[in-house]
Amino acid sequence: METARNFTFMFYGFTAAWLIVLLYIVSLARRGARLRKELEDVKQLVASNQAEQRSRVV
Amino acid sequence: MRTIRQSFLLAGKDLALELRTKESLNAAAAFSVVILLLFSFVIDPGTEEAKEFGSGMLWLVFAFAGALVFNRGFSRELPNECLDTLLASPLSAASLVLGKAIANLAMLIVVEIISLVVFGLFFDIRWWLRPAELAGVSFLATWGISVIGSVFGALTVNLRLRELMLPVLIYPLLLPLLMGAIETSIKILANQPFTDYEWLWMRVLVVFDVIFTSLALALADTILVN
Amino acid sequence: MRKKSIYLLAGAGGLLLIYNLYRIFLVLPDEAMQGAIYRIIFFHVPSAFTAMSAYFAGLVLAMLYLSSGDLKYDSLAASVNEVGWAFSIVNVTTGMIWARIIWGIWWAWDFRLTSVLVGIIVYGGYLMLRKAIDEPTQRARLSAALSIFGSIDMVIVWKSIEWFRTQHPGPVLSIRTGGGNIDPAMEHMIYWNWLAIGLIAMAIVLIRTGQEAMSREIDSLRRLANAYESPISEAVTHE
Repeated sequence: METARNFTFMFYGFTAAWLIVLLYIVSLARRGARLRKELEDVKQLVASNQAEQRSRVV
Repeated sequence: MRTIRQSFLLAGKDLALELRTKESLNAAAAFSVVILLLFSFVIDPGTEEAKEFGSGMLWLVFAFAGALVFNRGFSRELPNECLDTLLASPLSAASLVLGKAIANLAMLIVVEIISLVVFGLFFDIRWWLRPAELAGVSFLATWGISVIGSVFGALTVNLRLRELMLPVLIYPLLLPLLMGAIETSIKILANQPFTDYEWLWMRVLVVFDVIFTSLALALADTILVN
Repeated sequence: MRKKSIYLLAGAGGLLLIYNLYRIFLVLPDEAMQGAIYRIIFFHVPSAFTAMSAYFAGLVLAMLYLSSGDLKYDSLAASVNEVGWAFSIVNVTTGMIWARIIWGIWWAWDFRLTSVLVGIIVYGGYLMLRKAIDEPTQRARLSAALSIFGSIDMVIVWKSIEWFRTQHPGPVLSIRTGGGNIDPAMEHMIYWNWLAIGLIAMAIVLIRTGQEAMSREIDSLRRLANAYESPISEAVTHE
């Protein structure tokens, strides 16, 4: 067994493992950012609806 | 006992409906013949190779044809709110799932017989030489496939992408059953007696039938009733 | 509270991981037969353990949801299964890289590898199913049912190396064999790295459940917003 190739593949293995976890965390962070933005939008929508309703009642 | 009687009643209803319209059966049978035709280009008919791969090919055909049947199983109850009516009736959800499974079994067996005849003609294989083993394997494997098809037909009935989700969900779960059916059918097509290896796979078939059936009955309420 | 636990778990996991990497590369010697490549086992096995424990937790949470109807269990189950799925991918990828050197091939269709692949497809189907359903309680019910079916495969994954002769190595850890198949120092390293990966996985689960809670809040706010716009509330306002 060639030692160099053996060593390279060990390196690939470790890189692959952490690359996958990293990619997953990045995708989670992006999903989180999207959700936060959506939450803000919906909150604003609810607030504007409430304001509109109050003005109508008055 | 009540559940079993109810499920046979429901299966009778489905089969009567199917005999009148033949929509699932025609589609599934036509589909399997087409697939067998396509496979005849992949495998040389009449060779030893055909006997070896024939078993795997047959069970893939049955499983694919099954998905066509299962997709119709519960979705046929969607128009006119028939599913809601069935759920509101005194029938239990378990009997509903079991009834659909029995109807699936009957339809799949018809498809299997048609495909076997076509397969025998196209590939020059005498598949009827071990009728007891053939009937046993076919019944055990087809029952497991039908039960899973019935439960997951119920699970996906209200989904968009229903036709897509059903095969994605059922085939990986069915893998042990399909492997058992394929491994044992090789011996049946080659007209050789079962060895310990095949009996081991027969046990696998029985075990998975029991597991799938009991899970299906236990989860029927969860899946169908809101 | 959640934020603090996430930082704590991820920090502890990260520190332990750095210490483990030091031990793996600089303290432990090469394995006699396999050379340097054997070190992949320190990620391959702990990520498999993490995935399996995550799926098992997913099964328990699915049953808890079905018996209580509390959506909290459902969002936790979804997070746990997703994290388990990610670590299954890590497990299979590292295994394939190891196999290329030791077996000369990337993949072998034995019972272990096949059942693991089936698991990845089943739990991938679970994640797809969750995306395909909008109604929260229906999504919770159906995905709980699917994860109960999926856990059958996990039993096969776990037992396959005892039931069959597989290309994949048989059981080596002393908890399963009674000892003698692996150097205790290496076995301990596997457990320590499992702890590190497990802590990081738990931090990810917490992040993921936070997101689930957020999307539930978005759903309910959206319903509130629609309620204001609906004709009934219009009628009430005009009276």
